[in-house]
Amino acid sequence: MPSLREPAQRVSPRARSMWLVGGLAQGAALLVAAVLAGLVWHWYDHAGWVLGALALGVTAYVAVVPAWRYRVHRWEVTDTAVYTQTGWWTCERRVAPMSRIQTVDYAEGPLARLFGLATVTVTTASAAGALEIAGLDRARARALVDELTLKADTDPGDAT
Amino acid sequence: MSRTDTPELDQGQQWQRLDPRMLLVHPVRELIRFLPAVIGVFLAGTASGNEVWHLVGVGVPIALGLLRYVTTSFRITAGRIELRRGLLERHVLSTPVDRVRTVDLTASPIHRALGLATVRIGTGASNEEEQLDLDSLPLARARELRLELLRVAPPTSAEPSEPAERVVVVLDPAWVRFAPFTSSGLVLAAGTLGVASQAMNTFGGWERLDTGGLVDGVAGLPWWTLAPTAFLGLVVLVTVLAVGGYVVANWGFALSHSDGAWHLRRGLLTTRETSLDDERLAGVSVCEPLALRVAGGARVSAIVTGLDRKQQGSGLLVPPAPRPVVLRVARDVLGTSGPVDAPLVGHGPRAHRRRFTRALAPVGAVLAATVLLVLVAGAPAWLLLVAAAGIPVALGLAADRARGLGHALVDDHLVARSGSLNRHRHALATDDVIGWTFRSTWFQRRAGLTSLSATTAGGRQAVTALDVPEPAAVGLAAAAVPGLVDQFTTQASVPARLA
Repeated sequence: MPSLREPAQRVSPRARSMWLVGGLAQGAALLVAAVLAGLVWHWYDHAGWVLGALALGVTAYVAVVPAWRYRVHRWEVTDTAVYTQTGWWTCERRVAPMSRIQTVDYAEGPLARLFGLATVTVTTASAAGALEIAGLDRARARALVDELTLKADTDPGDAT
Repeated sequence: MSRTDTPELDQGQQWQRLDPRMLLVHPVRELIRFLPAVIGVFLAGTASGNEVWHLVGVGVPIALGLLRYVTTSFRITAGRIELRRGLLERHVLSTPVDRVRTVDLTASPIHRALGLATVRIGTGASNEEEQLDLDSLPLARARELRLELLRVAPPTSAEPSEPAERVVVVLDPAWVRFAPFTSSGLVLAAGTLGVASQAMNTFGGWERLDTGGLVDGVAGLPWWTLAPTAFLGLVVLVTVLAVGGYVVANWGFALSHSDGAWHLRRGLLTTRETSLDDERLAGVSVCEPLALRVAGGARVSAIVTGLDRKQQGSGLLVPPAPRPVVLRVARDVLGTSGPVDAPLVGHGPRAHRRRFTRALAPVGAVLAATVLLVLVAGAPAWLLLVAAAGIPVALGLAADRARGLGHALVDDHLVARSGSLNRHRHALATDDVIGWTFRSTWFQRRAGLTSLSATTAGGRQAVTALDVPEPAAVGLAAAAVPGLVDQFTTQASVPARLA
């Protein structure tokens, strides 16, 4: 019986830092919200417990998830297909044939820009089938967009 | 895809207006839409004794209707259909004719009285603004236009031998018996009760109604008389509404095939004709919700590429009907019986176990919480019985869900079945598969399972086979679309070239 192997290429190692900072920022926002809520609803006697648990959760998340994500996130482009693997707890492997590609999207979020990274999104005519490669090195992402556009263009058909 | 346009579409047509009889329909409709405002204006006019207000109240809606008629026009030119509308903000919608997926003809009672129909041209654009609605044309012209629009699609090879319209199925009034087994009755009942109570509230009906007397009369009855009576009343109400809804929506239902497209016709008051281009028909979904399944019924809808979720209604091929009829239509539409009848490959003991853990885990959690409540918080003990009653229900559901799981690859169709409360058997043509998604949570990976989705441009955008053993999933995807997934498997015969 055949089994699916992982895509060959990894994303930029800097993606780990990006996910780390993103997680920290979200965790900090959560903690601030909890502190504010504590001030408003006056649960001073439980505040230590709640904040401690939250901080522990955020720390665990930040310690584990970016590395886990980096290990999972992979991609590969051949002459006939695009193959990605994303997620951490829930993993998704997506394969799309080059002939069905409709758009190739290049995006730099504010955080990604800080680390010189970019996201390439490949969409097909199905709303359920977008392939996203996050955390690519900026230059690598640009080259990938050019390559995909060229390859998808040479394939005939209306991609539905 | 390059397509040769038929000559009639090449001669740049002049801008055409809608039917002038619309002048009768639009003002009436605008009047109805503005009815509250109109009534307000009338009251104001009567109070102030000024007749001008009455004229304004009627005149504005009529003027709006007139404006719409004057400012809306369309044409088919050089393989494109263009719609021009709006007075202050001019809109020109333009779309290639070969992008037309469906053509819907609807006629409200007003339209029917005047011999008109609204043409809705489905292009796959999900945007409400981008809808191409021609409201309205004479019925004959509307049908002619539909033919023109759909004929541009290249004819399939089998076409010449089948020039006449072939009727596949028409509504049998006896099918109405399936209506109470659908959820539409409940939805209608909830809607009706909501509107009624709203109206009572607005017009102060609650105060006028002798609720005190009603409560006194009812309070005298023991609960074991009252509860069944109320329940029975609700059942009767839901049944009547479900049957009514079924009749209104599906009266005169007919499915036929001609000119390379499937034509659906239905509706008691507002008639609706939908045409689905053969080329766009990617597969069918046979749906058997639990209640309908127990009653021996089913319904089937088409997976049409370019129709998104919001337009699912246009894909319904047969309303709730006896299972044999539904299966016959499904076979007919697919042109092959395999995807409908073939036995499916089960997903094995691990997938079954997952069904049970997933069904029992929430029930178990509720039970544990109840035990805690009873022991610690001193809640009444009969709550335990209620919580425990969930276990057999969960077991039954899990067993049925496990039995339902299955997939197959038959006659170039990917078939997947799942669900219990809402069981579906999807059959999707492999040509219309435009990608694969293998999705697995940590638990699924531990059990060696994955959920395989074939993405497509129609229906729910993907057909999913739930919890397939991983090797089987990869084998299925590789067999369905050769040369795609193979290059990423560990046994790839052709080494994948890295970019």
